Amino acid sequence: MDMLQMKNISKSFPGTKALDSVDFYLKEREILSLLGENGAGKTTLMKVLYGMLHPDTGEIYYKGEQVHLKSPLDAINKGICMVHQHFMLVPAFTVMDNIIVGNEPKSGLFVDEKKAREEVKALINRFNFNINPDTRVEKLSVGEQQRVEILKALYRKADVIILDEPTAVLTPHEVDSLFVILRKLKEEGKSIVIITHKLRETMAIADRINVLRDGKMIETDIDPKKATIHSLSEMMVGRQVALGIKRPAKNIGDVAFKVEHLKVIEDGVAKIKGIDFSIRKGEILGIAGIEGNGQTQLLESLTGLNNPESMKLTLKGKEIKGSADVFLRSGIGHIPEDRLTMGLATEMTIKDNLILGYHKSPSLQRNGILSKKKIRDYSNRCKEDFNIKTPTIDVKAKSLSGGNQQKIVIARTFSHDPEVIIAAHPTRGVDVGAMEYIHSKLLDLRDEGKAVLLISADLDEVRSLSDRILVLYEGRIVSESMPGELSEVQLGLLMTGNRIDEEVEDEIREID
Amino acid sequence: MGDWANILYVVVVSTIRMSVPMILASVGAAFSVRSGIMALGCEGMMIAGAFFAVMGSFFTGSPWMGILFGIVFGIIFSLLHGVLNIRYKVNQTLSGMSVNLLAAAVAPLILQIVWKSKGISPKVASFKKLNIGILEEIPIIGSILAEQNILFYITLILVVVGYYYMFKTPQGLRMRMVGENPVAANTVGINVVGYKYLGVMLSGAFNGLAGAYLSLAQLDMYIDGMTAGRGYIAMVISTFGKNSPVGAMLGSLFFGFFDALQTIFQGGVIPSQIVRTLPYVLTMLVVVFGLKSARNPAGMGKHHDE
Repeated sequence: MDMLQMKNISKSFPGTKALDSVDFYLKEREILSLLGENGAGKTTLMKVLYGMLHPDTGEIYYKGEQVHLKSPLDAINKGICMVHQHFMLVPAFTVMDNIIVGNEPKSGLFVDEKKAREEVKALINRFNFNINPDTRVEKLSVGEQQRVEILKALYRKADVIILDEPTAVLTPHEVDSLFVILRKLKEEGKSIVIITHKLRETMAIADRINVLRDGKMIETDIDPKKATIHSLSEMMVGRQVALGIKRPAKNIGDVAFKVEHLKVIEDGVAKIKGIDFSIRKGEILGIAGIEGNGQTQLLESLTGLNNPESMKLTLKGKEIKGSADVFLRSGIGHIPEDRLTMGLATEMTIKDNLILGYHKSPSLQRNGILSKKKIRDYSNRCKEDFNIKTPTIDVKAKSLSGGNQQKIVIARTFSHDPEVIIAAHPTRGVDVGAMEYIHSKLLDLRDEGKAVLLISADLDEVRSLSDRILVLYEGRIVSESMPGELSEVQLGLLMTGNRIDEEVEDEIREID
Repeated sequence: MGDWANILYVVVVSTIRMSVPMILASVGAAFSVRSGIMALGCEGMMIAGAFFAVMGSFFTGSPWMGILFGIVFGIIFSLLHGVLNIRYKVNQTLSGMSVNLLAAAVAPLILQIVWKSKGISPKVASFKKLNIGILEEIPIIGSILAEQNILFYITLILVVVGYYYMFKTPQGLRMRMVGENPVAANTVGINVVGYKYLGVMLSGAFNGLAGAYLSLAQLDMYIDGMTAGRGYIAMVISTFGKNSPVGAMLGSLFFGFFDALQTIFQGGVIPSQIVRTLPYVLTMLVVVFGLKSARNPAGMGKHHDE
């Protein structure tokens, strides 16, 4: 039986049609994956279902009856709950308060804390979660917080649970436990929708896959057993996608960028314990490593954002010293780790963001004053060249999807002709299409003879793009290898501080 | 010995006397802050309370009606802060200050129109010390209680009721949720706008009452500038007391104590002008050193639909 049906749903926002006559249905006891790129309308569709947005046209049927969901409260009362990507929890409240708020058990005028605690405990035990109802949520890990969100839905007697990008914030191990929980929920008779753009996970957990693209439902009945990663990504993007592009470097030249004796001490702790490396023209040097092993400090040192204990930095034979501004103007382009905190001023327009840090460039000025016309021309050129999807360059950066935001950062750095690019997690949180695009841009730049340093938490990315790979572990470079020389498993071992001597290699061979 | 006992008695009595309006004002501020709205308008709501309480008492001859007027106008002025903020999403600092500025302008204006007076209203019917009968016989405490009027007892009751409302009832939990995270509160179906209005109106009522206490219990008239920045201090006390009614009361007693020290030191070696700055200096010290660990709700100034 169909748990719910959405028929002919359309929703427009100023300037865009977010949903265009979308049909959607959900069966009882199934895990449905709603797949699509960022900005395809997945979240909008689910917000309509959750009563947070009101559709322009269309009907919703729930358990056979037509419903009009005016607010989330309507949806909750009907048994539809949503676990948002950014958790809707109050860190300062206890787990129990977070779960019961809005539906508190009462005794007289007061909250019946005893009953509330019993109910919450019973829920926790049902799933063998190791959470104390009286702990403050701020003390919990991200994975645990997500469990609290799921408990919140169950406490409200949800039959339909919508999870928005549930794996985006989880470690691989936590993803596995989440899947166990989701399967158990399904066994209990719940219907689950996962909004995601991750293909592997979709294949692993979903019973059925839907694909949305540009506000249109492309396919509602995909059997994950018959689908392939390639066919799904084509449906999402609407064309052939090259996943994990490889293009070996053709003309690696002389050393362009050289780092010597880099040492960083932070709060009395040595974060980088003396490293030396160099990058040649036309080469991508990849740095693999688990986050927290000195990547942040390395980035800060190379872009002039911190004061290392010791460092000698030479770019084309010239030593660079001073503030971040000096680094930038000497030709060190920087794609920062976190676009929201370091890369962009999200409240400012795309145009303004595109000139941040390069505002002193004469190419944007006339008689020493910023020239509106030049900035406009330059920004429109960036928009074209880097395929930034936006109606105009005058909207705030925060109105764009993550992928397009990242394109702003990249456009800004690339269009000022840097000699070296320090790229940190350039594709974190962007969708397949944008990822492919950013990768090919990085490779183009390399082929033009620039030196690129690529720091990424994504081992696949490092392995497919780099011409040489360093492994960073506890502030030291523990290995240097050519791509293909070491397997994923071997790199993984190095990243966690193990050595790969003969013995271990034998073991690996046995396991393989 | 007798001197010391007397001094102690004076200190306690004037600590309470100074504290009661601060308790009311800072409990009001706590409600505002807990619902996510900065309590910057307290000063203005207090002025409105003090002034209109006198008006009410003047025209009806009843201090009780005066109190009612004070509370009602406290709420009306709080709604200026509330509507600007909740409905029109004006910056909270600006809307709070606008309440203070408006009240500080309206009171002298009406004073001039109604009583043709600059800065001082006529004397009106006010609250007298309460006759507590047999309780007065209790040693020390009896004589301290004998100095209090009915508003002292009402304040104590309000602190207790306020505490239970805020921390023990479903409505209190929801209001705190709104203050911490209005977006999240909205997703579980809580009436965010309603609770914000409730919080800000409670702050208006409490501050109106605090103002009325100043004009009808401490004195029996309105004097321009009689609130003397207490509304701002209340905001600090509220944060200092972790935005809990009980914390606000303890913080107010702490401030009231230093306020009371004036009485002791006045006429002594230290010039009274310097002594009178004590509560303000203390406020500054608390702001600089005491508020480090204190935190306001994470959702202050945020709206559920952005």
